[in-house]
Amino acid sequence: MISGLAALILRAIVVLSGTAVITFALLWNAPGDPAQAIAMARFDALLTDEVIDQVREEAGLNQGFWTAFVAWLTPLLSLDFGHSAVTGREVLPDLLSAISFTFPLAFAGLAVGLVISIPLAIIAAKHPGGVIDRMAVAVASLGTAIPAYWLALILILVFTVQLAWLPAMGARTPAHAILPAMTLGFGVAASLTRIIRSGILEARGQPFLPALKRRGVPDKAIGKDHVAPHAAVPVVTVFGLELAFLLEGVVLVEVIFGRPGLGPFLVSAITSRDFPQVQAVVVLTALIFVTVNLAIDVIYRMIDPRIGSSDA
Amino acid sequence: MRSVVILSVVFVLISILGPFLAPYDPAAINIPARLSPPSAEFPLGTDALGRDTLSRLLHGAQWSLGLAFVVSVIGLVVGTLIGLAAALGGKIADWVVMRTTDTFLAFPELVAAVVIAGLMGAGTWSLIFALSVTSWMRYARVARGIGLSLQSRGYVVQAQLAGLSTASVARWHYLPSLLPSLTVVWTGMFARAILGISALGFLGFGVQPPTPEWGAMLLDARVHLRSTPLQMIWPGLAVVVCVLAINLVGDALRDALSGAGETHD
Amino acid sequence: MLSVDGVSVKRGPKLTLEDISLSLSPGKTLAVVGESGAGKSTLIATILGLLPPWKGTVTWCGAPVRACRPALVMQEPRSAFNPVLTLRRSVMEPLVARKTSIDPDRIDRLCSGLELDPTVLDRRPTEVSIGQAQRVGILRALVAAPPLVLFDEPLSALDAVTQKHTAGLIADLQREEGFAAMIVTHDLGYAVAHGDEIAVLRAGRIEEITTPASFAENPRTEYSRTLRDAAISLGALEAAV
Repeated sequence: MISGLAALILRAIVVLSGTAVITFALLWNAPGDPAQAIAMARFDALLTDEVIDQVREEAGLNQGFWTAFVAWLTPLLSLDFGHSAVTGREVLPDLLSAISFTFPLAFAGLAVGLVISIPLAIIAAKHPGGVIDRMAVAVASLGTAIPAYWLALILILVFTVQLAWLPAMGARTPAHAILPAMTLGFGVAASLTRIIRSGILEARGQPFLPALKRRGVPDKAIGKDHVAPHAAVPVVTVFGLELAFLLEGVVLVEVIFGRPGLGPFLVSAITSRDFPQVQAVVVLTALIFVTVNLAIDVIYRMIDPRIGSSDA
Repeated sequence: MRSVVILSVVFVLISILGPFLAPYDPAAINIPARLSPPSAEFPLGTDALGRDTLSRLLHGAQWSLGLAFVVSVIGLVVGTLIGLAAALGGKIADWVVMRTTDTFLAFPELVAAVVIAGLMGAGTWSLIFALSVTSWMRYARVARGIGLSLQSRGYVVQAQLAGLSTASVARWHYLPSLLPSLTVVWTGMFARAILGISALGFLGFGVQPPTPEWGAMLLDARVHLRSTPLQMIWPGLAVVVCVLAINLVGDALRDALSGAGETHD
Repeated sequence: MLSVDGVSVKRGPKLTLEDISLSLSPGKTLAVVGESGAGKSTLIATILGLLPPWKGTVTWCGAPVRACRPALVMQEPRSAFNPVLTLRRSVMEPLVARKTSIDPDRIDRLCSGLELDPTVLDRRPTEVSIGQAQRVGILRALVAAPPLVLFDEPLSALDAVTQKHTAGLIADLQREEGFAAMIVTHDLGYAVAHGDEIAVLRAGRIEEITTPASFAENPRTEYSRTLRDAAISLGALEAAV
């Protein structure tokens, strides 16, 4: 068998290839003319039938799926995402600019989520079944049921409309980021609190811990060396899943709060059927995901070499 | 398990009966009464076009709940079949299926659903397709995990020895053991589907107006946030209540299962 | 007749079975003895046709062994049955799979031969005693009248009294039905008492195949001698011989 790390990387590559195929298949099958879409990506928004036909031939679109796939994939491999069908500008710079707005917000949301969930989980786990614990679990359960867009609207209602404390729309000032980050953070905190809490409880339930205590190992050391690493495993797992949640949340939050970023970029790209932009977002998010999951798999193996690939 | 069935039945009933319980026609426009607060005449008030919100919520259940149910069941069936194929098909089939699952998992669900629904054009079918295609993976993983652990069970070996067809082995010897865990996954996915449909509706990619889908209703109400915030509260509340109910049942089910010592991935 | 010819089985780089050759005729019993880890499970799987050998062949009357549909009685009766189905349903499975019609007389006859009350079949596996479950397992193995039946430690889950009794029931049924039986066991007393031949399995190879009498009196190899002596000192063999 190939060594563990190499196997993980191979998997990542296979998955990436698969996503490329699927993305292309999506574009291929979308209503509309793929030749037109690709033509628009390369040239101006103004096209004549002749240009489209020429593109069709060049791209080998009359030759079928796989030839066209290769023609499509090649520029992508050199990160040439082409030109927007709508604005005519190059896609990559616009995309990167959108991301430059989205990432900070996502991290802010994550930070808020962690700041809320970690202490809450630790306190709740201190007295399992106690008042704080049950309240925390109840609130967390409630939190996972609340859609981000609704929470956003409620926060706007409270803080902007009623209290006039915080601004809502746009991204003019850093203060504008508070409500969006809160919206994201609460959602993240809701799921993270429960997972961290059960991770701690499970780690505390490890059979050899009482023995350590009897031997006189101080509580703090037990917490640091034995409970924390064991609890870290499910948390790291969830991180990967939370990333998905975060990405989805960020898209919604940006749209709701009228902020620039990946969300509005994607939404307007889809509405205007700007294929080059759409595929750029899809390819990029897939790339991020696969990379993050790969990183998580690697971290797993570092924390606990016994853990095989996440398959078995 | 029973509570899951009861809950599903209740939800499906609401979806089907909702329209009959609604006091008004959800499309009945009544401009003079627009954006009115709750009253005896309109228990939840009216929206921007004067349509009764309660009636719209009840009609909307067909979409926000009913459609979510359909989507989650499709995902369940497809995902289970794929997962079983991986477990029963031998090492190569397993690897192929797992990599395919990973590939689909590489796309964040909502983003992928938005892209698919958006590109395919708005409408119910593209919505169903988009959400199903992005949700079968979780079932596949669970089905595969449990399926693999079942392969060494005595009665499975006996069935193979007897020459029972693979389909029969799957039906009689794998499914009963899969059902509890798959149901837990399903409750979670049903909740996600509800959230997903309303999210897509809110973004404008889902069910189209004038259909009273809850997310779309939220989108309409957003414009009037300052004047009539209540109109925004009701659809969201509906989503929250349904999702919460499903999550509670799902949690209870999961606790019952781990108490019983069922092991699953 | 079962013919195992030069069978070797590989697991990764290791040989779990090496150059196994044996034969078994209808109505005869071959007892395979050996320690845990000697390769007994692998041998069973290979002879049942579930595990293709790396080298060599396993045939019944010249055809690949799967064709004669051999049956297996497992060590642990509880896990041998689907907990969701009634025992009757599980017993019928070999017949249903082969699309053979069910002969109710045969079931009754086998039940009385196994001293089973037929109503037991309407229960679920968790609702009967281990002894009953094991006998239902034997019933299922025999229901489609296979010419070859393998027994994997058929008595070890049972208590001492039931062990002896069940061994007797198996022997009686074999006389009636005429199947070839291969019994894998670590119980030397059982092997010597009921086997027509004894094969000693060690680390994937067959040390020797001999008659129970010669095994008890004069084992050919060092290892067989150790096995026999150990059994005698434990009282297992003395009681049987």
